[in-house]
Amino acid sequence: MSERPGPAIALPPTVHASFLVAATDLGMWSAARLFCRELSAEGGAPLVEALRDELGRDFPVLDGVAAAFGGGELQAPRAELLADALAGIDRLVVTGLEADALDALAAWLSLDVELAVLTGASALEPDWRAALTNYARPITRLPLGELQRWAGRRSALLTFLYGRDHAHAYVDSAWMRVHAPDVRVQFRALVGWNLLSQPLELYPRWLSQTALEDFSHVVGP
Amino acid sequence: MPRRPSRSLPASAIASFIQPAEIDALLERVLPDGAERAFVVRCITQEGPIHHRGSSYALLRLLGVLLDELGDEGDAVADPPGETVSVRLRLPPHMAREGDDDYPLRMPTRPLDAIEPSGDRKHAALVDCLTDGPPHHALANAAMVSLLDLAITRARAKRSRDG
Repeated sequence: MSERPGPAIALPPTVHASFLVAATDLGMWSAARLFCRELSAEGGAPLVEALRDELGRDFPVLDGVAAAFGGGELQAPRAELLADALAGIDRLVVTGLEADALDALAAWLSLDVELAVLTGASALEPDWRAALTNYARPITRLPLGELQRWAGRRSALLTFLYGRDHAHAYVDSAWMRVHAPDVRVQFRALVGWNLLSQPLELYPRWLSQTALEDFSHVVGP
Repeated sequence: MPRRPSRSLPASAIASFIQPAEIDALLERVLPDGAERAFVVRCITQEGPIHHRGSSYALLRLLGVLLDELGDEGDAVADPPGETVSVRLRLPPHMAREGDDDYPLRMPTRPLDAIEPSGDRKHAALVDCLTDGPPHHALANAAMVSLLDLAITRARAKRSRDG
């Protein structure tokens, strides 16, 4: 039985640690996009494939992004897909971090809508104070214990989905902390924003599997 | 010989008959905003214990049957529902935000006047019982009272027409 040969290109030994730092600051999906872009610019598709081979099993979202990338263009996240799900709300709490998606969301979302990010619930978290200074609009840091202060009939919860099938999706573990039965009936919309066009092919390390039924709205591919 | 415990029907048997769109259509008249209605319908039909979702669904559908039987000829000239009360979100009291701590569906109190006079402590207690408790329960109560209010209005209009 022959094994598939690995890429001949050797990545620097620090790439694993570098990606983990980037994923902590940006989110797995956003960091994967950054690495794919940069490595593609440096060495084309073979370097992206080397990255996928080397880091994919440890970071399955990176594997998914690299698989979809395939040397092509990365599509910008489309916050406008959320228009129906977020119609009429005046407060939005985002659980989990994806900088690229949050950038698009913060730019698209009406300034009349208050925006918060949940803190203290994810496996990896950035220095939120520093991270949020990059935004042109106010974004509140909301500790998990304060979540219900943002509940209301015009409030919504949003998290990112890392691929889905007909019944399940993978999410940041923060979602598992917030979608408890009491909270579910205190927010008008429970929104899953899917970022990956294909289900993950590898063990979903770092992530939690949940049912699509968790969500009142699922947007994206 | 000990009696064998009876078996419950599987939860999927209950889930199979719950059609949220049917409840959404029923509540359109009392809660016109589609997004707000979707929130209420989700709480009634998709949250809480499964037997509660099923029983609320059945009772609301039966009220829909009753409304259909009564016809809507009198709706255009019916009085507005009068006083309504809110159903509160079950938030920890220190975390509630004034003005956004209740559900969009409000419950008319007028039908309860037939049981106890408005303004009476017993009337207030009736309202309290119907709007307290878990949200899926309280919202189903509010939805049923709203539809009963409409049904009573239609029945009175029909009796008036029929002489």
